[in-house]
Amino acid sequence: MQRIANTILALRGLSSGVWVIGALFVISAVFVLNREQTQQGDLEFWLFSLEHEQMYIPLIKEYEQAEGLELDTTLMSIPAIQSRMMSGFFGGLPTADLIEIERAVAPQVFMGPTEAIGLTDLTDMLASEGLLEQLNTPSLSPWSVDGRVFGLPHDVHPVMLAYRADLTEAAGIDLTQVETWEEYFRALRPLMKDEDGDGKPDHTPLSFWYTNQDMIETLLLQGDGQLFTQGGTPTIDNERNAMLIAEMASWCVGPDPVAIYVDEWSAGGHQDKVNGVAIGYIAPDWMCSIWKMHVPGLEGKLKLIPLPAFEPGGRRTSVRGGTMLGIPKTTEQFDRAWAYAKLLYTSPEVARQLYQEVDIISPVKSLWDDPVYDQPDPFFMNQRKGRMYIELAPDIPLRPSSPYNKQAAIDVRDAMGQLADYARVNRVYTSEELLPKAKELLSRVQKQTERRMSRNAFAAEDLAASGRGGEQ
Amino acid sequence: MTSPGKRSVNKWLLHAVLAVLAVITLIPYLWLIIASLKGQDDFFSAIFFPPGDGPLGIGWDKLTLNNYRELYELGFQKNLINSVFYSATTALFATLICAATGFVLAKHRFRGRNLITLVVLGALIVPPTLLLAPGYELLYDIGLLDTAWGLLLPLLAPAFGVFLFRQAVIQSVPDELLEAARIDGCSEWSIFFIVVLPLVRPMIGAFMLITFLAMWNNFISPQIVLQSAEKQPLSVAISQLRGVYKTDYGLLTAATVVSVLPVAALFLILQKQFISGLTSGAVKG
Repeated sequence: MQRIANTILALRGLSSGVWVIGALFVISAVFVLNREQTQQGDLEFWLFSLEHEQMYIPLIKEYEQAEGLELDTTLMSIPAIQSRMMSGFFGGLPTADLIEIERAVAPQVFMGPTEAIGLTDLTDMLASEGLLEQLNTPSLSPWSVDGRVFGLPHDVHPVMLAYRADLTEAAGIDLTQVETWEEYFRALRPLMKDEDGDGKPDHTPLSFWYTNQDMIETLLLQGDGQLFTQGGTPTIDNERNAMLIAEMASWCVGPDPVAIYVDEWSAGGHQDKVNGVAIGYIAPDWMCSIWKMHVPGLEGKLKLIPLPAFEPGGRRTSVRGGTMLGIPKTTEQFDRAWAYAKLLYTSPEVARQLYQEVDIISPVKSLWDDPVYDQPDPFFMNQRKGRMYIELAPDIPLRPSSPYNKQAAIDVRDAMGQLADYARVNRVYTSEELLPKAKELLSRVQKQTERRMSRNAFAAEDLAASGRGGEQ
Repeated sequence: MTSPGKRSVNKWLLHAVLAVLAVITLIPYLWLIIASLKGQDDFFSAIFFPPGDGPLGIGWDKLTLNNYRELYELGFQKNLINSVFYSATTALFATLICAATGFVLAKHRFRGRNLITLVVLGALIVPPTLLLAPGYELLYDIGLLDTAWGLLLPLLAPAFGVFLFRQAVIQSVPDELLEAARIDGCSEWSIFFIVVLPLVRPMIGAFMLITFLAMWNNFISPQIVLQSAEKQPLSVAISQLRGVYKTDYGLLTAATVVSVLPVAALFLILQKQFISGLTSGAVKG
């Protein structure tokens, strides 16, 4: 007793903060330790989007009542899902029974030999149940390895061009007949005047910049550029990629650039959109709901058209972003998890809600007849936006599932930055003049990627088999 | 020599400059508090106050506590209590364990002491990210996933703290004092609590605050270890307010205010010790 008293006396000189923390510990411990523990459900579902969870819950409740099963949904950030899922896969531990995985994370899952992928191969199930035909085929590509499908696609995310129709129509410019980027930029030249006298054009045709990796990748895919084959071999230094990045870099440089940087996410960028700093914006379907929420001032001022092509007859759309639903191999209840996966991802109610709430179209083709997609959207001057996106959905480009794609895309962006610098220093502004330098820069990225892949025993094997990666 | 009048003017000038800098520093906090009082419609209408017909052209009637009400309805208070519990537990026990270990490594001679010190130093250079996968596997194997212990145990003896206290004890606790205590019949525990801890007091305040803040802001570990929503701390609950497609920024800023205020208050209480702890040893005295 005396010893305790002595200790307390000795510690009395500690600051009040220490005692405050001690008191906080005691009070919070009382609350935390007396809290009732919740019961674990039969199945566990990890997902990263609050919106998705809210859409699924009514359906899950209905199904739970009918089947007597309980599905626990756990909402986590994308990095948390990534860490937990990969830790589980590496350690061979149970994770969840269902996991929603975002496009940026998915390739990590596909690192290593196909048979070691932590997710269940769904190809045979999809085929036997007729789902392969029901789903928009290109939407399967990011979730496929060696022709095997490891996830159900949640979306399509086709890309269109949103433009300030209020400004173009006031100037008597009709963009609906425009077919190529060249025609688009030419049509908008009259709007590139400097009437406010600040030394810059009042409007620039396109919101695009060589520092935006997502935009570069989107347009690269549109133009049939390819960083990796579907088999995962890097093809970064191909002629087509060089032509495309030279073309895109030429938009941003020179005395009269046709592209301008307008931030996609910041308040400043939103204000620039309202002010019409750029006329055209690259618009995947999900971007529409973001504008409605964050830039309400654009309501009734925008219209959508298919992306202008790089050449006449070229592809008029692209793809950006995406989510899949996977079933880890460690689940002990595959059949139940599969039943839930089908329920959530092929439900007409969820698909309808997905479009109504966040403007995303479903990859399930049989659901495309839903009249919800034909409703005029006042934000886009009453265009039937859903139908327009659906018409482009089958044409979205294939995307590789290579785990090296993300880093390669970053390297290509950096190469484009160097190309733009080269253009400024040497005063060469046309895509033809920039092409040799673009080839040289992409060749460097190719070698860098091959070097990176050669450090992975499995990727190195594939690389050697493909005849690439000779130079280390 | 400067005259008292000139000195006074200089002092006023200095204070004026500092006041301006203080105001600039406070602007983001002011923005945060005002933003937390705005509705979704007014969030992007103006940088600070929503425009309106009230005095100073401000729509005072548009300011609302709805975001805070909604946080309460979402059960945010549970996450707040979780954060307090995790942070206070880590701060108290990590300080105690690190101080005790630091004392032993600094003042006790035993076989393997240098090796243990080297291991502690070596642990400092291991990036925490590298430990995520094996840590997850270990917690799974010992059945601590989704438990508070699973989150707290790995954080109770950080190598940084052990080394910090070892250095503090070497610097602040003379061997003669320990010898005198032993001659007076003090046990090693009593020496630690009665002699050593009071002497490393500045370091205790600083380390406790650092640990409390680190745990308060810890984002990845709770998400990896804890699965149930009702066990998540504020940092995780706030991140879940951000939608993938859209975000209610008013709600998000209100949650940020709730998250910032307790630690700001704690810093005000502990700031003196925090600063003296950080600067102890900077000047030889």
